[in-house]
Amino acid sequence: MVVGEFSEDIDVLVVGAGPGGYVAAIRAAQLGKSVTIVDKAELGGVCLNRGCIPSKALITAAHQYEAAKSSPIPGITSTATLDFAKVQEWKQSVVDKMTGGVKTLLKGNKVRVVQGEVFFTGPNEVRVLSEYEGQRFRFKDCILATGSRPIELKALPYGKRVLSSTEALALDHVPESLIVVGGGYIGIELGQTYAKFGSKVTIVEGTGSILPTFDAQLTRMVVRNLKKYNVDIHTNAFAQGVEETENGITLTFKVGDEEKRVTAEYVLVTVGRRPNTDELSLDAAGVQLTEKGMVQVDHQGRTSNPHIFAIGDIVPGPALAHKASYEGKVAAEVIAGHNSAVDYRCIPAVVFSDPEIATVGLSEEEAKQQYGEIAVGRFPYAANGRAVSLGADGFVKLIADKQSGLLVGAQVTGAEASNLIAELGLAIEMSATLEDIALTIHAHPTLGEMVMEAADVALGSPIHIVAR
Amino acid sequence: MAVYEFRFPELGEGLHEGRIEKWLVKPGDEVKEDDVLAEVENDKAVVELPSPVDGKVLNILVEAGATATVGDVIITFEVAGEGNVSATAADVKTAAVEQAGLESATANVDTARSPVPAGAGASGGATAAPAPSAGAATAAAGSAQAAASGLSHAREVLATPGVRKLARELGIDITQVPGTGPNGKITREDVETFHRQGGVPAQAAGAAAAGAKAEEDAAAGAAKSIGAAGADAGEAALEERVPLPTIRKIIAQAMAKSKYTAPHVTVMDEANVTELVALRQELKPIAAERGVKVTYLPFIVKAMVAALRQFPTLNATYDEERQELVIKHYYHIGIATDTERGLVVPVVRNADRKNMWTIASEIEDLAARARSNKLGPAEMKGSTISITNIGSAGGMFFTPIINYPELAILGVGRITERPIMKDGQVVGAHMMALSLSFDHRMIDGALAQRFINELKRLLENPRLLLMEV
Repeated sequence: MVVGEFSEDIDVLVVGAGPGGYVAAIRAAQLGKSVTIVDKAELGGVCLNRGCIPSKALITAAHQYEAAKSSPIPGITSTATLDFAKVQEWKQSVVDKMTGGVKTLLKGNKVRVVQGEVFFTGPNEVRVLSEYEGQRFRFKDCILATGSRPIELKALPYGKRVLSSTEALALDHVPESLIVVGGGYIGIELGQTYAKFGSKVTIVEGTGSILPTFDAQLTRMVVRNLKKYNVDIHTNAFAQGVEETENGITLTFKVGDEEKRVTAEYVLVTVGRRPNTDELSLDAAGVQLTEKGMVQVDHQGRTSNPHIFAIGDIVPGPALAHKASYEGKVAAEVIAGHNSAVDYRCIPAVVFSDPEIATVGLSEEEAKQQYGEIAVGRFPYAANGRAVSLGADGFVKLIADKQSGLLVGAQVTGAEASNLIAELGLAIEMSATLEDIALTIHAHPTLGEMVMEAADVALGSPIHIVAR
Repeated sequence: MAVYEFRFPELGEGLHEGRIEKWLVKPGDEVKEDDVLAEVENDKAVVELPSPVDGKVLNILVEAGATATVGDVIITFEVAGEGNVSATAADVKTAAVEQAGLESATANVDTARSPVPAGAGASGGATAAPAPSAGAATAAAGSAQAAASGLSHAREVLATPGVRKLARELGIDITQVPGTGPNGKITREDVETFHRQGGVPAQAAGAAAAGAKAEEDAAAGAAKSIGAAGADAGEAALEERVPLPTIRKIIAQAMAKSKYTAPHVTVMDEANVTELVALRQELKPIAAERGVKVTYLPFIVKAMVAALRQFPTLNATYDEERQELVIKHYYHIGIATDTERGLVVPVVRNADRKNMWTIASEIEDLAARARSNKLGPAEMKGSTISITNIGSAGGMFFTPIINYPELAILGVGRITERPIMKDGQVVGAHMMALSLSFDHRMIDGALAQRFINELKRLLENPRLLLMEV
């Protein structure tokens, strides 16, 4: 019998349990708020379930497989076999461990978890629809953390043979061949991974180079590596449409006026992600969106409705999990009455390609624009003992204001670039100078020494390479 | 495309300035005509400032918290078609911002998920997430926004995240803090010192104090004057200077004007409101049913209207220029209401034509909205006489200041239960303290006392009020 829905009064409602939402929920709870978090799917969001974590698991697996197949170190030989279904099982166990961890954390912080889809019915009220029931909540404050989803191209609608990153991560076998439309970081990470597992991979990118947001210096080694795996790269290429055949799919694309065709088992479309703001009835809550469907927020993450905050992929800025987490903490603190603000000098960005690419702060070009004269220090992996013993190639580059020596940007490509960048982000936030970095003792023999050496290079007095 | 300069409009009669409480837009935002741009505090109310045009915000020229005078350019827009300024002048000023804005506009969805360095243009971070994308451009856009304290200054100043947080918590605009560390880096101590000195840059304060002292003590010798300056600086460090919100400035002006213009006299008396207390007790459950909270105020309003009918001189103003008394035959009763932001006086209009229930619920509504800052300027205008109720906070007799240009104000004190003599017997009674301040230029003491006597008569015999409803 329907007797009408009653609204339950709650303190803080967090919509979306990804790396933005669950972090916000935990911080709000730590600050004494009673928090309810709602997600329509699994805890951990895209990051843990269909993004960062599972892709890193597959990347590691591909790397291990490759090393087992042909050891880069002379004297070791082995024969490798691949049971991809087992690899997928293991990947899932990694994901489960992480989502289980989130569940424990939420529980430990007394955050109430509700499963369902959220629709706003007013400025401080939502309806949550789960499979069999609906419930209403009236909140004092709300944090929107609904994230983003893959963009679908009209000419390439998702289907049996046209995959988004979600399906590509969950394939039950290694495809014989794979076309990747979109050479951004998701396309490159997945394309390179399947190439290592043995797929014939073709990359179709609309701009002049793959990973177009990174300097050519940084992407050069990735391009070289892709070629090693027989990956075809088409740049300035625009997908026109697909045609499914009995056991494959043919992609038509144009390079200039020339029309080309490639056939493969699957087409993977990774042309970007769009914010999940369209199915929440946000207008009922008085939350204004930009033309691109992003939520407008102020420096504290507050939307046009003063009791609703938004964080992560649905607000302007790079769509990165670590940015979402940072913004989530800020929004939670503001709700708890702290005068916190989104106030960072830099956000690191990492591509888990082979070799890895990581950047933070300004590029050389941007630094020149902003500071005029700059000092750049570049130190090669080839001159670092640990790098050579790992068989790793690449470089660390520091960019500083020439006059003050202040570090303003850094770029790393090579093994463990993803980890090396952390120190450089810290250095920028702490307003460290080249001297500060050069005078900090870095343990030997480690890749981290290259950071210190690159600072020395920029200062004109490197030890382990000859100054020009 | 052209530039449109929006000048601070007159928000009400005679209001020539207002404090921008909060900007709701930022450079790069698209706005439509009538979209709310900012909240502006004026004349004891916060009003919304609508956009005059469709366009894109280029530059915000008056920071949140600052006071703008009518006619000041407070924000500029990029608009289609013709603007209202020659483009050349504006171009220089806004080019950087425009660039930053354009970048966010062209940030392609294709790259939305790309791990761009926080710097790359396509991040779309030029607006909310201040990526150092446009280099100098962002810096320019940043300083335009810098204004509003609490915005990100991460890129303009050298300070570690912890120090930036400290500044935010202390409510300090970190761009104003002089840095003493290497490269002008702002240290924790710099922020703390700045805070102790009340938000005045350290050297400036020191220099000013030293300067002033030096002049004074010119003869006393240099060494001594420096010593004295040091002592002054020490005391200054223990003082705090708090900028006044507009509402406080207005209250200050209004109070001074009233007290200096109208010679105030206050008569004080007590009314035995034992019956009224009983009546209110009787009414309480009925009121609760109606969802109305009945206080003594509606009774006092009604009694006052009745007394004013007999003594119309008190419901009047004095036209000094024409040397005339302007008697009002309408009864708009101002109800002084204490709010977090200060004293405001919402008005119950035509109180003579409303029944007690209506007055009760109106007072409740006005007071609630006054406290939540939702009153429009019109709702605080046009009262003909006012009531100020200090009793709810506890006091008895006091000398209220007239809500000028009215001629009188009734101050209501606490009702106390205490023994009085009645017909030779000591009996318990509820006594209400009444204080009536009046403008002695127009009203003499005897008239004021007769008015308060009538008021007493009605409050002491609430049944008489029946005749007045």
